[in-house]
Amino acid sequence: MEIKASLNSIYKPSEDVVTRDIQGEFIIVPITSGIGDLEGEIFSLNKHGRAIWDKLDGKKTIKDIAKELSLDFDGAPEDIEKDVLGLTQELLKKKMLVEAGKK
Amino acid sequence: MSKDFVSNVSLHDFSLWEKIRNERKILAFDLEITARCNNNCRHCYVNLPADDKKARESELSPAGIKSIAGQAIDLGALWCLITGGEPLLREDFLDIYLYLKQKGLLVSVFTNATLISDKHIQVFKKYPPRNIEVTVYGVTKETYERVTRKPGSFDAFMRGLNLLLKNGIKVRFKAMALRSNVRELPRIAQFCRERTKDYFRFDPLLHLRFDGDAKRNSEIRSERLSAQEIVEIEEADSERSEALKKGCDKLIMPETEHINCNHLFYCGTGNGSFTVSHDGYFLLCSSLRHPGCIFSLKKTPLSEISKDFVLKVRDMRSNRREFLDKCRKCGLFNLCLWCPAHSHLETGELDKPVEYFCEVAHARAQALKNNIDKQ
Repeated sequence: MEIKASLNSIYKPSEDVVTRDIQGEFIIVPITSGIGDLEGEIFSLNKHGRAIWDKLDGKKTIKDIAKELSLDFDGAPEDIEKDVLGLTQELLKKKMLVEAGKK
Repeated sequence: MSKDFVSNVSLHDFSLWEKIRNERKILAFDLEITARCNNNCRHCYVNLPADDKKARESELSPAGIKSIAGQAIDLGALWCLITGGEPLLREDFLDIYLYLKQKGLLVSVFTNATLISDKHIQVFKKYPPRNIEVTVYGVTKETYERVTRKPGSFDAFMRGLNLLLKNGIKVRFKAMALRSNVRELPRIAQFCRERTKDYFRFDPLLHLRFDGDAKRNSEIRSERLSAQEIVEIEEADSERSEALKKGCDKLIMPETEHINCNHLFYCGTGNGSFTVSHDGYFLLCSSLRHPGCIFSLKKTPLSEISKDFVLKVRDMRSNRREFLDKCRKCGLFNLCLWCPAHSHLETGELDKPVEYFCEVAHARAQALKNNIDKQ
């Protein structure tokens, strides 16, 4: 069953992935089976994706994260919230994130 | 803010490669965790007996391996190959494997598969390797054990291989083509291709031992196929001969004949990868064992060695006329086993031509030219 990301939920990186910063390229490496597919692909996050990832620390809700990011990045707050939610959803689908609670 | 946070790109198209193209950054390394092996293959350039006390004592400890791997990771390494000898001989193999996986490396393993157990399978299923490359010495007990000289090894190989395949572990195959198994090579190729979606490769070019053991080197020489035999097996394997024909413009490069340069190294050695020998030496590639080209990682951190040392080795020159006129200008270098590392293993020098390699390269080139003329 697919877990839907929600604004009031808290997420953190799965223990089954490791992140690597190689010469400025930020990549997520699955270490267990069934997560992502690194057979022929690299899963990387750009500057904005990484800024979101760094805040997915198991303490803040998506709403909190979007609020913090709107101080650093241009864009309407509702667009930023949508972006954070969208990336979270994708990472949840790939099992690279896990839910850590709700507020 | 942009919505395009994520890129799921093929390894081939990953932007990192372009970024570091000319920077000699470390991306991959081979860990030769033991020189010992439970088989005793006639053609092997590494294997020492499984119970060789001296070889065992010289092996890097798990802490030593982890320290070197950690340094490589800090320098940006993404790929790691665990090899040997037979790496599964080490009782701490899984501990080492899991450490490398959990550090975010894409880990491959070279093995003969004879020691694969349920415990390995459990770990490989949960923490999948990028691939396991299994060497196939024969597909009958008689041929397999003629090569390995170990009674019971064929049954152990089949059991281990079937365990891997039955559990969906990604397996690749390779075979060495030698006098003791050449008659079975077509069946070996068929056996491998039937069992993997990934590649199978065979290699007829046997090089000599890292330890210089004269008796074993003589065994390796006696296992070498003649230049003509090598051409025949390559032509008989349609996949191989098609690949050779396709790559022809890169395999025969007459323009090299005008090169006026005395650099020893013209391969990619040390560019983006390195090998750690079982006893903790930094090698630019697994075959380059010349004392002037290796460095102990037990005494010096990787970060201090890698860049300057690699540049120094790669800048080595030769004044040997024979090399400069014969090998350095040869347009067949991509068809030849000759390189400074193999020259050293054959002759004790980094820059001496090797007649056998030369014969093979010319025969392969002639066969390619004949095939092209026929088309």
